[in-house]
Amino acid sequence: MALKPVTTPDTEAATISLSIDGETVTAKEGVSLYDVISSMGKIVPAMCYHYTFDPFGSCGMCLVLQEGKKSPVRSCTAKATEGMVIRTDGDDLFAARKKAVEKHLSVHPLDCPVCDADGHCELQDMAFEHQVTDLANAKQKHIPEDTRSLVLDFNMNRCIACGECINICKDVQRIDALQFMKKGGFTQVVAKGDHALDCEFCGDCLAVCPVGAITNKFSKYVYKPWQLRKTTTTCNYCGDGCQMYVETKDTEVVRVTSPLSWKNKWGDRVDTINGHSGLCVRGRFGFQFIDSKDRLKEPLIRKETGLVPTPWIEALDTTAERLAHVKSRYGSEAIAGLMTARCTNEELYVFQRFMRTVLGTNNLDSSARYGHMNFVRAVHHALGINRMMNTSADITKAKAILVVGANVTETNPVASLRVKAAIGTYKASAIVVDSMQTNLAKLASHPAMVKPGTEGTFVKGLVKSVLEQDLIDPDLASQDPQALAALKAAAHTISLETVAEETGVPVEMIQEAARVFAEAPRSVIVCGEGILRQHDGYDHTLSLIDLAWVTGKLNKPGCGINTFAEEGNEQGAVDMGVAPEFLPGPEAYEQATARQKFSEAWGSTLPDAQAGKSLVEILEDCRTGKIKALYVVGENPLATLPKSFGVEEALSQLELLICQDPFMTETAQHAHVVFPACTFAEKDGTVTNQEGMVQFVRPALDPLGESALDWHIMVGLANGMGHALPYETTQDIQAEIRRLLPGYYNLGQPRPVAPDPTAYLRNGYAESVDARYGVRGRTQESGRPYGLKLIQLIYHSGKLSTKASGLMDISPNTGALRMSLEECERLGIAEGGRVRVTSDQGSLELGVQADVNMLPGTCAFPEHFNDPPVKDLVRVVVDPVTRVPYFKSTQVTIEKL
Amino acid sequence: MDTPAQTKRFLDAVLFREIWKAMKVTFKHMLHRPMTFQYPREKRTIPDAHRGALGLLRYDNGQERCVGCDLCEVACPSRCIKVISEEDKSLPLQRYASEFYIDITKCVFCGYCVEACPVNALAMTKMYEYSTHDKRTLLFDKERLYDIGEQHLEDAKKYLYAHNQEDDDEESRAYRYHFPQPIGKTEAPDS
Amino acid sequence: MAHLEDQRETIYKVDPAHPETRDLPILRTEELLLNMGPQHPATHGVLKVILDLEGERITKSTVVMGFLHRGVEKLAEHGTYHQFIPHTDRLDYVCAMYNNFAYCRAVEKLMNVTVPERAEYLRTIVAEIQRIIGHLFWLGTQALDIGAMTVFFYTFRDREILLDWFDELCGARLTTSWYRIGGVERDLTASLETKIRDFLAYFPPKIDEYVVFLEKNRIWLARTVGVAVISAEDALGYGLSGPTLRGSGVDYDLRKYESYGAYPKCEFSVPVGKNGDTYDRYWIRIEEMRESIKIIRQCMDQMPKEGPVMADVPSVTLPPKNRVFTNLESMIQQFKLFSQGFDAPPGEIYCGTEAHKGELGFYIVSTGGGNPYRLKIRSPSFIHMGAFDFMAKGYMIADAVTIFGSYDIVMGECDR
Repeated sequence: MALKPVTTPDTEAATISLSIDGETVTAKEGVSLYDVISSMGKIVPAMCYHYTFDPFGSCGMCLVLQEGKKSPVRSCTAKATEGMVIRTDGDDLFAARKKAVEKHLSVHPLDCPVCDADGHCELQDMAFEHQVTDLANAKQKHIPEDTRSLVLDFNMNRCIACGECINICKDVQRIDALQFMKKGGFTQVVAKGDHALDCEFCGDCLAVCPVGAITNKFSKYVYKPWQLRKTTTTCNYCGDGCQMYVETKDTEVVRVTSPLSWKNKWGDRVDTINGHSGLCVRGRFGFQFIDSKDRLKEPLIRKETGLVPTPWIEALDTTAERLAHVKSRYGSEAIAGLMTARCTNEELYVFQRFMRTVLGTNNLDSSARYGHMNFVRAVHHALGINRMMNTSADITKAKAILVVGANVTETNPVASLRVKAAIGTYKASAIVVDSMQTNLAKLASHPAMVKPGTEGTFVKGLVKSVLEQDLIDPDLASQDPQALAALKAAAHTISLETVAEETGVPVEMIQEAARVFAEAPRSVIVCGEGILRQHDGYDHTLSLIDLAWVTGKLNKPGCGINTFAEEGNEQGAVDMGVAPEFLPGPEAYEQATARQKFSEAWGSTLPDAQAGKSLVEILEDCRTGKIKALYVVGENPLATLPKSFGVEEALSQLELLICQDPFMTETAQHAHVVFPACTFAEKDGTVTNQEGMVQFVRPALDPLGESALDWHIMVGLANGMGHALPYETTQDIQAEIRRLLPGYYNLGQPRPVAPDPTAYLRNGYAESVDARYGVRGRTQESGRPYGLKLIQLIYHSGKLSTKASGLMDISPNTGALRMSLEECERLGIAEGGRVRVTSDQGSLELGVQADVNMLPGTCAFPEHFNDPPVKDLVRVVVDPVTRVPYFKSTQVTIEKL
Repeated sequence: MDTPAQTKRFLDAVLFREIWKAMKVTFKHMLHRPMTFQYPREKRTIPDAHRGALGLLRYDNGQERCVGCDLCEVACPSRCIKVISEEDKSLPLQRYASEFYIDITKCVFCGYCVEACPVNALAMTKMYEYSTHDKRTLLFDKERLYDIGEQHLEDAKKYLYAHNQEDDDEESRAYRYHFPQPIGKTEAPDS
Repeated sequence: MAHLEDQRETIYKVDPAHPETRDLPILRTEELLLNMGPQHPATHGVLKVILDLEGERITKSTVVMGFLHRGVEKLAEHGTYHQFIPHTDRLDYVCAMYNNFAYCRAVEKLMNVTVPERAEYLRTIVAEIQRIIGHLFWLGTQALDIGAMTVFFYTFRDREILLDWFDELCGARLTTSWYRIGGVERDLTASLETKIRDFLAYFPPKIDEYVVFLEKNRIWLARTVGVAVISAEDALGYGLSGPTLRGSGVDYDLRKYESYGAYPKCEFSVPVGKNGDTYDRYWIRIEEMRESIKIIRQCMDQMPKEGPVMADVPSVTLPPKNRVFTNLESMIQQFKLFSQGFDAPPGEIYCGTEAHKGELGFYIVSTGGGNPYRLKIRSPSFIHMGAFDFMAKGYMIADAVTIFGSYDIVMGECDR
């Protein structure tokens, strides 16, 4: 309901009954009268109402008559009370509403012809519906248009002061970037302080604006709604899996809109616990890469003169022949494949089948290896599950949220709104552990700013503190006494003081955080790259499981441990078995029964259980010459991994490097064969979001140029190698997946996971926990005082977003190191000054920009950009268990130039 | 049947009287001025309301009237119009049609686009002689449409008056539509 | 070879009673299947009729239609109600005005819109002019089909005059699109009004002229009297309407029964035939032209001199253009109506109108929203062709042209 939810997870509101148009209705006490009426299916017009925030009551359209009152009342701001008698229809109400519309129209400019909202405008609809004609005293405001912002234009002549933009920014996004301001005699919406708007640019204000007062700069004036074809698909940038409408005109993408819109204003506010159906800046404004001019349009084959455009049939034939040659000459083991997780489930499935059956190798990996695999492996190992445990509803309703090393407002902006709602609407306590002043840290009740790279230590401190304060779940002593004893024994080796010293967080703070977490009835853990992509990520995830287990938060409803996937469909890549250790399901590759099942289904023998190399090993083997052919689908290891890792040498050793990508990536420039692939907007299939929901990806455009779907190319190669794969349509692949993995296509309703730590705790837990809590110094390069982090920006995702011109306009590569203001002052660096950054791997000169989010002693650079190549300053450390390469942070010295 | 009538019938039949009657009418017409005229040399006068080829119009100061609102495109029953609009590079915040096509082979000359146009940028003219050997030239682009509008400006105006699209007085031609101004320009435009 | 022997056997069959015919070939009789059309000048478009002939007599005829199918009914589902008006021009393309009229009436019935009085008179006047045009066209072509060429020139001469008025009235001679939902696009000009009044005096003698050519002409009589007779019962059974039905003596005219437009305010009679043959149908059309002149004269006299020609229902009708430039609400109305159309109430209606060919009906199913869910056109030409086999049976092959000519078919309407 639009009013603050009266029914919270803890309290239930009283039931009342009232009469609306002669019908008796029951409702919860305290809800808005408007919601009661709309829940009956009656639609009372309202222009300033949206279910996601508190009613504002400015438009004066939602008038209804209450018995006993002379004049109509605004139903949105009126609360439903027992015994009300309400009439919602009638000529008098129609006339009153018509008057309200006239009031808005009389100051509205005559610019429907140029207005982008024309045809999708609530004021138009209302004026037409109420048959307004012949307005007296119409006048125009003549307010100049505010075009200062990079993304949104504000034309306040058109504004009807409904306040939806301000309210959604405040109540849902909790950014509060907009405000009303009296200016030039009119109330106008301006960015806070009347500056150029500079916010997260989620565009929700644009979506809810019922008129054309806020317009999108990237598609300004180029369309009218009736020209556009709307395709509902799933956003590909991160693992949130937001639904969105890609709106196309002929062969170009004009804009992206969200289900959140003023057209979709009726609902129950409680529903927002499942998401508010909006988008973030990447989804809404980062669509230009789809029809970018840089897209590859035809297959290329390396000849003497370089990469030469070649017809598909020849390109496929040549490639298949050369793959067959490598296979026969060096054996299957000499072939490997890497694939990006951004592809659809069906493509990922075909890829692993192609690698395993046609090429006969288990050397395959996906981009989930960069971090998500740590989480999956940890929960798979300890709890027997493969993804995060909670739904977004659980997170919203949590009483305590522990956010560890997860800058989710940047990496997963829409999922982060659930955390924000928990904090803001449901008053949850939040413990935010990070080495940066993240947005969540600013909202959190318990921000714990740790020194770079010590998030894991802090988690151990929490476990220690729980044990010390005896906040242990009372059931544990009887269930798993040995494991508990082992944990206690292991935790003996650390002291809270050491943790406090190492992390820079006072002991009391750790103690309180532990108390808050352990005592809340519903506590959830959200961990992110600060844990998963940093050294010992796997171990730290296990420590988080320890924490959840010891406080009894593993199996209780509404509790659990979660991560948000940073790249679209990382979860799907794991589920489809694009990893040497997993078969589709995912089922462990070493399990003979699972291998048997799939080898029967595919009619082919699978490689041995011991065979199979992951990303890091594949690249190392390329360098040593053990692997001769590499098939890279959408991946770009050359631009991702630091130079010191030697990817370039590895690639140059290859006899055959096949790259399949929508763009000419750095890796593709070294390739022998380049296949043009499609983007998600041309694909048909499904993706799995972090919560396990399988969602549709639908084609909004035909493949650009001669580019082809990834799985089409794989099937083509398989045919060329004389091993036809039985797929003609995406449905064929889906049918096979459905047969082998019953229930995988869950129509967005994933089965809840059931974590079961018993086996883990009873078999070898004592040894492993002992090793994990053993004293281990920080992996710190001595003498280098600053922690350098490669961070993610909200405006970008991986390298893909750098091809979207809109996002590059919003957030160009500044080429500057981000440092806190204090640090800049201390070093005496003025704005735009330059510094030399030196790590053990080398040194680099670059500019500096002050960033309020940085803490003293840290500096950061966006991982999306390689110019200057800051990533090369970092050394790759490989996780001993999961083989995840860590290269997101290092210690550096900074000298002013 | 009495005898005189029978006799008359007989005589009618024998003398082919009805044919002579008809021939009388025909011969009378021989003295008439011909109804036809020799087309390329003589042309019929075309009424003002005539729905001929479409043209695009400009304001008196030379500015293009069309703001690229696409309403003609959506009003067209045969979907023969295509408007591509964008912001005018030379005039910030002004929308205009960067491209405008009418596929005249598809056009049914119903005049709905003119009726729809909220700025009267389109008008029909008395032009009807544009047959060609090459069908491709019948995709009229913006340049050609403005040309037609310029060459047949008087006809276009008469068309608009005839169809009550515009009144033939100064006031109704006044340019009432205001483009938004960029914020840098603070003074209100004089209307 | 055996096959050839068999043939020889049948062809040279010897009649035992007349052994002298032994060496004479006996002529074999067998049915002839004749494809008439679709490229035949007398089929009024692209109609194909497969005639089973026995000698020159038609024993069976199969009408093949659809050569001019354009999916007009489907097109209606993909545009606004307003957008369909130009498509109706192309149904019976020689009489666009009446199609516009029939369609607009149907939508007005659906939307419950009342047309202003002056507009009702204008609609009636133009509809009757269109009826005259239709009958002139029919008369000329029917006479031409039967072999009388002269009449064609005279009827077309007068038809040209009327078509030029249409050009002056709405800008096009054939594809008029002049009627609008809620009224008409444009009022009569003063010059047109004078011209119509002059025509009322000019035209009746011309009708007598046509009659002189045909009425007594023995060939015309031989080709029409007693040809394609259909009884009143059969005509009703086959769903015939218009002159084709009235020729059989059924007094059925929607102008009288439904009393739409300004017809109830005019006095006119409905000519009804007796024999149900082609000649009666010809006679009815001639008489109807005379009646039309009467109706036009009465309308011109009764019509209010001033007044709006468009209903003012903001949710359905377009605003006057000059208001669009100055009033936001009219601008909004303009944009909403053109881009989305008006919101029709859910429901279904049928509305028939007496076009000069017969009952032209539009059946509209609306599920709400700006475009019809389904639109069905009951076109007289199509229904009439259903009776062709029945009416042509037993007549000579040359009569086939006369018969479907007497329905006044137009394939644009028939195939849609």
